Amino acid sequence: MKYMILLYGSQQDYDAMSGRPSEKPSWTAPDFAAMGQFMEAFNKGLADSGELVETRGLTAPVHARRIQLQNGVPVVTDGPYAETQEVLAGYWIIDCESFDRATEIAAELSKCPGPAYASASVIDVRPIAESRNEF
Amino acid sequence: MRRYGHFDTAEDATQEALIAAATAWPKEGRPDNPLGWLITVASRRLTDLLRSEQARQRRQKTVAQWTLPAERVAPAADQRAADADDRLILLFMCCHPALSPASQIALTLRAVGGLSTLEIARAFLVSEASMTRRITRAKQSIKDSGVRFRMPVVSEFDDRLRVVLHVLYLIFNEGYTATSGVNLYRTDLSSEAIRLCRVVHHLLPEDPEVTGLLALMLLTDARRPARAGPSGELVPMAEQDRTRWDAAYIKEGVELVTEALRRGKPGAYQIQAAIAALHDESPTLETTDWEQIVALYEVLLQSSRNPAVELNYAVAVGMARGPRAGLSLIQRLETDGTLVADYRLQAVRAHLQEMAGDLAQARDSYIAAAERAPNLAQQRYLNAQAARLMR
Repeated sequence: MKYMILLYGSQQDYDAMSGRPSEKPSWTAPDFAAMGQFMEAFNKGLADSGELVETRGLTAPVHARRIQLQNGVPVVTDGPYAETQEVLAGYWIIDCESFDRATEIAAELSKCPGPAYASASVIDVRPIAESRNEF
Repeated sequence: MRRYGHFDTAEDATQEALIAAATAWPKEGRPDNPLGWLITVASRRLTDLLRSEQARQRRQKTVAQWTLPAERVAPAADQRAADADDRLILLFMCCHPALSPASQIALTLRAVGGLSTLEIARAFLVSEASMTRRITRAKQSIKDSGVRFRMPVVSEFDDRLRVVLHVLYLIFNEGYTATSGVNLYRTDLSSEAIRLCRVVHHLLPEDPEVTGLLALMLLTDARRPARAGPSGELVPMAEQDRTRWDAAYIKEGVELVTEALRRGKPGAYQIQAAIAALHDESPTLETTDWEQIVALYEVLLQSSRNPAVELNYAVAVGMARGPRAGLSLIQRLETDGTLVADYRLQAVRAHLQEMAGDLAQARDSYIAAAERAPNLAQQRYLNAQAARLMR
């Protein structure tokens, strides 16, 4: 059974990680290095156990484009999110034996080191529908 | 022997000094202090012998580094040259001009470098499936083009070799400045490029640009140990602890570029290697011979005028003749337009503005540079520079 783990972050979180002067204090070099090490080990663990299907991180929300139909015409908006709005920042697709196991993996991910405000963010796990019948 | 501690070599040196005495004394007369003469000649000779011994050991070590395990087991003396030529032909095929640079790189790493498709996929952060497709397509294109497994004809040789060197250069750069991802380095690609370049240099030792490229790679890679801070953060050359630079790589690179330039056919790689050598051999930033670097960039601009070289030229001019001189070159590059979206232009401008004391402008330029930087480590470095100027 496949599950998707979703990780969220705001433009402010991205700015803090890249050290850009903003509302939230910047990640320190040791914070940043610890996060990198954690993520590498986490991904390697999932790859080694054969449970990892795919994982991707998304670039900062400021680079997002939103398409909306207005009067039958698709209209494109650049950077549609507010600075503080939490949006999808990255995801993992895992293939594992049960929802409980998927939850366990997501709980592990929540232990990722970082500044206190970063770990206050939520993580979601959702079962993936493999076909229309499974919705 | 007491002075140098190498018994065999010292004995050889003494022998040679006695031979020299036997030849010189009858002709030039016996010196006033015959023993002193012998010791001096023997010492000089010993120094030469030790140097050549070290060079031999270094060569052996180098050969052992790039020789494939199978060849180490069965070094059939009469087949070595043929094997070696096959690898060069393979390299020429992988870097066939009909292929895109991305395919040339992938195929070279797979077929000549012997990396697995998965390893190459990881190095370029794409899925194994898409790397497999890329390599399969590249192989098919070569097959379709009907190229035979042989060396390029003489009339094409130089052009084809330039492509091979460019592919190795791209692989090295990809490893040295990872274009994406959390980590700044993908060490394996740089090491792989150096290894492949050593193979080409071994097969074409007379080509000064091959030698120049190998020198450039070594002289650049020599700074790697100092390029990241304790937490993996980017440390620019100006702030690097130069004692951590790899002295062996610098020595080898300087020797190679000196040898290449002596052939009197300077090319872009040799000049860039010469510039890298000037940086590497300077014990501090302040003692760097910026005027000489400016002169070398002027030579480089004549043959390969591209925005990246012009940017480096502006930095050198800024260091040699003051930030305002550098900034006016940046201004010209900006109106030219090709580099406006490039973070390096903004980063250089920020640095020169800071040197000139325009701190508020420098801060804005650092932030503009960070917005355009493709790599999170670079973003963090540039934003930290901006934050430093806000205090």
